[in-house]
Amino acid sequence: MQKYECKVCGYVYNPAQGDPDSKIAPGTAFAALPADWVCPVCGAGKDQFEVIGD
Amino acid sequence: MAAREIKTNIWSVGALDWDRQLFDELIPLPEGTTYNSYLIKGTEKTALLDTVDPSKTPDLLDNLSSLGVKQIDYIIAHHAEQDHSGSIPVLLTMFPQAKVVTNIKCKGMLQEHILISDDKFMVIEDRQTLSLGAKNLEFILAPWVHWPETMLTFLKEDKILFTCDFFGSHLAQGGLLVGESAAARQKVLRAAKRYYAEIMMPFRTSIKKHLETLKAYEICLIAPSHGPVYPDPELIIKAYRKWISDEVKNEVVIAYVSMHSSTRAMIDYLLDALIKRGLIVKPFNLPRTDMGELAMALVDAATVVVGAPTVLAGAHPEAVYAAYLLNSLRPKVRYLSIVGSYGWGGKMVEQLSGLLSNIKAEIIPPVIIKGYPKAADLTMLEVLADAILAKHQNDDLVRKEACNNG
Repeated sequence: MQKYECKVCGYVYNPAQGDPDSKIAPGTAFAALPADWVCPVCGAGKDQFEVIGD
Repeated sequence: MAAREIKTNIWSVGALDWDRQLFDELIPLPEGTTYNSYLIKGTEKTALLDTVDPSKTPDLLDNLSSLGVKQIDYIIAHHAEQDHSGSIPVLLTMFPQAKVVTNIKCKGMLQEHILISDDKFMVIEDRQTLSLGAKNLEFILAPWVHWPETMLTFLKEDKILFTCDFFGSHLAQGGLLVGESAAARQKVLRAAKRYYAEIMMPFRTSIKKHLETLKAYEICLIAPSHGPVYPDPELIIKAYRKWISDEVKNEVVIAYVSMHSSTRAMIDYLLDALIKRGLIVKPFNLPRTDMGELAMALVDAATVVVGAPTVLAGAHPEAVYAAYLLNSLRPKVRYLSIVGSYGWGGKMVEQLSGLLSNIKAEIIPPVIIKGYPKAADLTMLEVLADAILAKHQNDDLVRKEACNNG
């Protein structure tokens, strides 16, 4: 599954790790994140993320 | 600010700051601010909701003393920022048995930022309740309004929602509540919009989620940590719904600076061209601009044009600053352009575009000219005005505005 980078702050969403702060389980693909999920570092929405590959 | 009763056994005990002119050494405070702290006495326990900026700790202590408060059992920390948490260490010295009640994220931040020791905390989860005896508090985790640890408290019996910075306004006024007159309501809405623009705008996604959550609560009073208390919660909730919506207005914000009047002549020409086309223009001459006013205009505008001359081969620093701010605040602007004049060369467009990478707007081709605008340059500005009009028409903004005005 592909990693995505927040273009605002540089945080990388790694599907293998998920996002424990938002109760996102490991193994959750970026596309499967809820529409209102936000970057855990800067609060930016999903639309600020870009794919950076595996 | 004297302690004032909001309802039986609920007091506002915070501080007014009439004189503060700048927040975060960044945000102008034309109307001062307040740091609201609330005391709730149950039949068994007493809770203090947030504290005040450290500079105003004596005001808070005076208020508690005037109410004869001998014991505080819980200090509810909605937000770790120092203007609300800054007095906690002093209070813990005075009331050593008190527990700081907050979520796990805020706990960590309070430990890091104001050095509160681990044993002082009581960590709560989302929707957990805490009884004070005849008064029950429910905690609602609401991250990103405007830090990751923010939360709200709902006082069930009195139906009061304590929101900390969410719904706040930098507005010092004598009255505790928003006044009933149309003018008083407009005054607080203006201050709240400024606050939203400066503080909350980047977090529209989270705010939308929180507004949905709050629909499940019957709220009679919203008590924020800055500015007056809302006796009519719908006033501010409706305003927030509008501000965070994806809708934009038929407005063009023009943020510009000019050194020797070449860029100024371009801006004047562009303003006229846009006005003639029925667009609403909001020009900001940057060296004379209150950045809060500019941020407010960005809440609704469909288009932003940045205007600048070159200085030492780059954009004028005033325009760089405005672009940086625009990029950080991430307004819902749909179209962006740049106009400007250079003396002999430079990388103004590349530089300003690079600073605006967070903005999801479509770029309308910039108009960059050499020296003072000549006939061909003015034609390019006409083309730019036409392009902006076409975009606004295509989005049905022009017609909508006409209807609104009617």
